[in-house]
Amino acid sequence: MTGNVYSTICPGCNFGCGLYVRENGALEVDFRKSSPANAGKLCRFWMSLPRLYAPVKSMIEGKETTLDEAANEAAKRISASKGSVAFLSSGNTTCEELLAFRNIAESYLCTGAGFESLPKDAYQTLSVGIPYSDIEASKHIVLFIDPYEQYPLIVRRLLCAKKRGAKVTSVWWKDMPLADENIRPADISKLQLTKDSLIISDFHPLLDAEQVKSMLALAKNAGARITFLKPFANSTGAYLLYKDAKQKSPAQLVDDINKGTIKTLFCLESDPSALIPSETLSKLTNLIVQTGQAAMAKANIIIAHEPLYKKKGTLINNEGRAQALGGAGTSGLDALGIIAGAKFDFNALHESVKKAIGVSVIDEFTIPKYERPSYGAIQGAAKLAEAKTALISVYNPFMWFGLVDDNDFVELNLNTVRALKLLKGGTLKIKSNGSAIEKKFKVAPVQDNILLTGRKFGIEKGILTPVEISR
Amino acid sequence: MQKGEMYVGWSTKDDVRKRGGSGGLVTSMLAAALEKKLVDAAVVLKKINEFEAVPIITSDINEVLNSAGSLHSVPSNFAKLIANKNLKVALPAKGCDVRGIIEQGKRNAIALDNTFIIGLNCGGSMHPVVTREMLEVMYKIKPEDVHGEEIEKGKLIFETKDGKEHAITIDELEEKGYGRRESCRYCTIKIPNNADIACGNWGVTGDLVGKATFVEINSEKGAKLLQNAIDAGYVQVQKTDEKGVAMRTKIKGVMEDLGKKWKAKLFVPIDNGRLEYFRKELENCIDCGACKAVCPTCSCGDVSKCTEYHSRGDAYKMSMYHLVRFLHLADSCIGCGQCSDVCPVDIPLTRLYRRFANPVQEQLKYEPGMDMRKPPYFEVKLND
Repeated sequence: MTGNVYSTICPGCNFGCGLYVRENGALEVDFRKSSPANAGKLCRFWMSLPRLYAPVKSMIEGKETTLDEAANEAAKRISASKGSVAFLSSGNTTCEELLAFRNIAESYLCTGAGFESLPKDAYQTLSVGIPYSDIEASKHIVLFIDPYEQYPLIVRRLLCAKKRGAKVTSVWWKDMPLADENIRPADISKLQLTKDSLIISDFHPLLDAEQVKSMLALAKNAGARITFLKPFANSTGAYLLYKDAKQKSPAQLVDDINKGTIKTLFCLESDPSALIPSETLSKLTNLIVQTGQAAMAKANIIIAHEPLYKKKGTLINNEGRAQALGGAGTSGLDALGIIAGAKFDFNALHESVKKAIGVSVIDEFTIPKYERPSYGAIQGAAKLAEAKTALISVYNPFMWFGLVDDNDFVELNLNTVRALKLLKGGTLKIKSNGSAIEKKFKVAPVQDNILLTGRKFGIEKGILTPVEISR
Repeated sequence: MQKGEMYVGWSTKDDVRKRGGSGGLVTSMLAAALEKKLVDAAVVLKKINEFEAVPIITSDINEVLNSAGSLHSVPSNFAKLIANKNLKVALPAKGCDVRGIIEQGKRNAIALDNTFIIGLNCGGSMHPVVTREMLEVMYKIKPEDVHGEEIEKGKLIFETKDGKEHAITIDELEEKGYGRRESCRYCTIKIPNNADIACGNWGVTGDLVGKATFVEINSEKGAKLLQNAIDAGYVQVQKTDEKGVAMRTKIKGVMEDLGKKWKAKLFVPIDNGRLEYFRKELENCIDCGACKAVCPTCSCGDVSKCTEYHSRGDAYKMSMYHLVRFLHLADSCIGCGQCSDVCPVDIPLTRLYRRFANPVQEQLKYEPGMDMRKPPYFEVKLND
């Protein structure tokens, strides 16, 4: 930190975008042009950072309290629920906190990733991606993401690759302006891969394991490379540090809460409502959230500490690039110490982090050398849900953080507009699961019978929701 | 001291003089302004390394004194930093920073009477990430080994920690896509006479080369600032010699001519397909709003024409946001390059804005940020 300016990393996803947060009464975001991951450029999520970092207070059952009291009460309840406690952190915090968290969470640890259903020898491929400079140098890039909506800072890397002669193929429900070739997901058999191809997908908690396996199989069978982008600020750090830990999948966690074998859930810098249905969360006896930002889920205990930008510690981005946060705060670590019943030493944890990634100093300009073992033959049985019409939720930082963006509409194509005789400037009725909503629409080059949204409407069931639509 | 006078000056503080770009005069003027309460705060770049510095607003004299040194790889944006903060402040400023500050002043977001602007001669700045790559690719040196930098006689020179100098002509670097930011190449404001005082190393001669700064006083505030620094014992000055003045004028002329050549090269008129050109350039826009946020002449705030006429739900072939901004900035764009710097999908926004601004500003004979004349579009009366 210098003066009231913090050099930090955007928490919106795992891209590792550097920025400055300036405290001048209200929070101001400033562009850190020397940041190697993003050259100072930020996606539209930057405008929401003051909202995300709105001050949060420690609470016990709705009553304001201190961090120490909240942490002590959490420790008591966790101890009293021994055997029925689960610990969730999707990686929205520092490597040092994640290491401390691992000590507490050994009995039932969930990172939000479904590793237990995936081949063990693909763990490293899923955990750490390739450098962005390798993307720029690729000859054929195949996208299984919407780069504009989900990971916008990848767009300039793709455009750079195109300038150097790369062909970009998009496998998505909508045509992408930067793609040379657009293939619909249902027509995946048309995709031609070679050993020069690079597949870019994402790896997040709501993905079906079979989908991930199918993606890995596609790359394996063609001898192509594959890299995964991830949604949380330190997803890569969490996966690398928890490589040898026994992890439960989010599906297992939901199942165990529903069965009643898990009664207390402790969430470290992770909003459980992003991963767990509200009806499941309501079955918990104790929901404990330790956070530096406003949590969406209603928790029994909130242990509130400094936001990410004020923390001291290390994040690791999609590429495996280790980045130091510019703050000095360790109260998150102190709170974890109260819960563990033993104080954590930041310096010792920091040394362990460096050892784990094989570096002697955290240097954001040098990507550590990671082992990238190939994985064995693999088969995936991903099936597209059968639905005449479907609403596809295109998960982006706003959705993961439960923040409202300026996108209260669905995208659909002109055929659908004509078939339903929709009126310009009018709305569309969408029914699903007994609920009905009415939304504005935007005409876009989208697949027939598909609606796309980058916003939660409350009627979704996962990523693809069968719906009925009418005027 | 008065407007129009020229001096050569240097800091009286040994460490500042040694560390400062050209004798530490600017740093010392800022420190003296704080010490003698001429201002309440100063803006400085707090150096992190050769390629990064954090702009800060400070009242701490030591923080100002420690900030000495030139950084060509830090394209600062001071106008937006001090806007709407009601500061009595002194700050160093490149030509485009000065222009932005003056435009914010016209829009009542900065009180110019309370703002002491120390203009810095500027041949152009570089993007830090591009500079690091350039060092490895063109100079074959590690960025971490760089100790200092200078632009001299058309060459960009890096000094490494082993004391060696590595020089390549700016022309060669820019042919390869490196060197100065695009907007700096066609900028023609090389000596900021729109600031209260204009400072730089051009025109320093003899034994003082590299150890002193050439100063031109452009306003009463500028005279006050320099006299204050002399009275406070921070600065010494001597009169310039004719040779120095002539040399400075010559360098300015050469740089301006180079800027004009770049302008002619980059802005070849588009006779056919103008709509398609703009549509294609903007097709990757993700509506992040960064170009508006950093624009040093924009002071509209959250409610503004460009955002009010735009919706993310629009399916127009070209965004209304950009269309409104093109028109709104036609008389006000200063070509600083900040919008291109921050665009997450690398749209060459400054070039697009200048496509509109160049003909409008030439026709109206109006250069925004160069004086206190109101933007011509402000002056339209309903009865006209």
